[in-house]
Amino acid sequence: MINKLLVIFKKDFLTARRDAMATYIMVIPLILAVGITLFAPGLNDTTVKLAMLKSDDIEHIEYMKQFSKVELFDSVDELERRVEKRDDIAAIVPSSNSYEIILQGNESEIVEEYAVLLNTLYELGATKEETTAQLISFGRTVPPLKTMLVNILILMTIMLAGMLIAMSIVEEKAENTINAINVTPVSQTALVVGKSLFGSTVAMLGIIGAVLITGYYDINWFMIVLVGLTSMILSLIIGFLQGLSSEDIMEAAGSVKLLFLPIAGSIAVYEFVSNKWQWTMYWSPFYWAYKANTLILSKTADWGTVLLCTAMVIGLSLIVYILSLPKIRKGLS
Amino acid sequence: MKLLSNYLKEMKIAARGFYFYIEIAMAVILLAILLLVVSETSTSNRKQFVYNDMPQKIAEYLKDKSIKDGDARLTDATEFKLKPVEFVITNQETGETAAHDFDDEKIIKLETIETLDSSTGELAGTTYYAETEEDMIRLAYGESEIGATAAMDARGKVSYTYYLQGYETDKLKSLLYISHSESPSVINAKKDKQVVRTLGVMKTLNNRENLVPVFLVFAGSLMGFFIVLAYIFYDKAEGVIRAFAVTPSPIWKYLISKIFVILTTVVVSSSIITIPVMKGQPNYLLFYIFLIITTFAIASLGLLVASFFDSISKAFGVMYAIMIALLIPAFSYYIPSFDPLWLRFFPTYPMLQGFKEILLNGDAGYVLTFSLVFLAGGLVLFVLADKRFKKTLTV
Repeated sequence: MINKLLVIFKKDFLTARRDAMATYIMVIPLILAVGITLFAPGLNDTTVKLAMLKSDDIEHIEYMKQFSKVELFDSVDELERRVEKRDDIAAIVPSSNSYEIILQGNESEIVEEYAVLLNTLYELGATKEETTAQLISFGRTVPPLKTMLVNILILMTIMLAGMLIAMSIVEEKAENTINAINVTPVSQTALVVGKSLFGSTVAMLGIIGAVLITGYYDINWFMIVLVGLTSMILSLIIGFLQGLSSEDIMEAAGSVKLLFLPIAGSIAVYEFVSNKWQWTMYWSPFYWAYKANTLILSKTADWGTVLLCTAMVIGLSLIVYILSLPKIRKGLS
Repeated sequence: MKLLSNYLKEMKIAARGFYFYIEIAMAVILLAILLLVVSETSTSNRKQFVYNDMPQKIAEYLKDKSIKDGDARLTDATEFKLKPVEFVITNQETGETAAHDFDDEKIIKLETIETLDSSTGELAGTTYYAETEEDMIRLAYGESEIGATAAMDARGKVSYTYYLQGYETDKLKSLLYISHSESPSVINAKKDKQVVRTLGVMKTLNNRENLVPVFLVFAGSLMGFFIVLAYIFYDKAEGVIRAFAVTPSPIWKYLISKIFVILTTVVVSSSIITIPVMKGQPNYLLFYIFLIITTFAIASLGLLVASFFDSISKAFGVMYAIMIALLIPAFSYYIPSFDPLWLRFFPTYPMLQGFKEILLNGDAGYVLTFSLVFLAGGLVLFVLADKRFKKTLTV
């Protein structure tokens, strides 16, 4: 049995190497990880932008630069043209004895509040030296947005493995190799496990590489590999289901598109919906995988929670597998 | 005439397949999500943990006052699980560090107050009041949210100690410092005197409407790129493209008929999402012009990519990379302060902004300008794809 599994694994590896499939599953997460590393600082810096006149008091300009990104302009006309552009920026210009805040009118409320507060504090002569506040830091350096992006990347890689399995099965069906398996000593189970083994191995390597590139060296690696492998089971089942139940590439493409819904829904609910509505996505194994990964990447995970999440992923995957077993058998025959 | 019969034939095949109905079902699901799950007003899930180091009566008075003033509302107490944890905190001014090591595990219930937006009355954030400073610090660390101790001195002056995660920008830290260099009453009085001038009465999309351009671009036009590839590879596998070599019909008619099928699907699914949400607000003539032109351009890009490969698995890397690259402008759409110049060269950037303008019934000039750009770009890509297919017929 093990030998046959390894034969399928080896065959898939050779075929995939020819088609560059393995390279895609491994290299794409790495390229995206480099992208996240480059973009994350810019995404995290949500500082409000202010437009000011070059002729303004240098002290005023320097004051504002401590708290915002300042852009300087020669005239009020030029400054107003900048405010009218598509992004959010507020202007502060001298007006008689005071200052006037200019807005386009469609900025998010926080931009107006920020500009008003900054100008208020400037006019009051507020300085950091007079503060009564103290700041204490927990010393974390990774912003949650970066963690969210890396977590999405992990889910995308898992999904990518599933998508590729679906596509390769559809192609194998077109070439009648699935039928050919039935007249060889290789069992259907060995075919399923053998193909899964290949997809999981390559995708896991991609995920580990991506996590390292994005700088999460000191996370609990046992936890991340455990969650990665368990969520891979689900993705592989779905990949097989899509591949076996789709008659052609168009149908597989449609199924892939539908798969985006529970993934996007799980992320949206976990990140943006209040605690009392989290239960609405408990049915989605992607929700549990995402939750576990978030906790592991932010280094707040404990084994109890991680094991619960992985149990949910495995449990839900098994339910999907058992429900779809007749379909998988039919597809393989 | 030949083109029409090609298109009708393709539509009949598409209608027999599974995919066309998935598109419609997906549009209906997205519409249901927009109408039933996404509220029109945006709410914030910003959280903070506060410990009031002051006499109980004063703390209660301050909370009651903000509730009476309509700035906040009391809600059900929230349960939190505190787990064993150890961490080090650093004072930002002095650099002094202190180690915290908690080895107990307990469940606590915290008084919860929701702060409300002064203008909309919607939820702006949630404050949880801890009974001890230790619990507040553990929660701020464990939940990765901001924590604060509000301490009152003998003269009744309140000072704050904030517990930050560490990744906050220096600009934000500076703002926290100066926000506490004057008393809140002095700051509020001065704030009310600020002169704010808006350059025009600008319409804005509400929280629900704001999602429509994203669905239109990513679930509609962008998927057209993926689907046209799938269509072409399906036909390649069936030998349909090779068959064109022995027919009098030019290859471009076959390619354009594929794009027409995509356009039909995208127009139907986009209408299902847009019309019930936006009703009569947008300029629909402009909407359909922009939708058709952008879908044509993106589908032409798909055709060109398809012309270089003979199976979807071989094209997968390029296809996936292009789709991910086209998704990046969504960050700028949702985080307006992240708007680097290079991002504006991604086609989905003007697509998102263009649909936003159409839904707002705003800058038609912007929409028409980019319609021309996408039309020209789409034609160039289509001609290149046609040349590639004519040259190879097999790949």
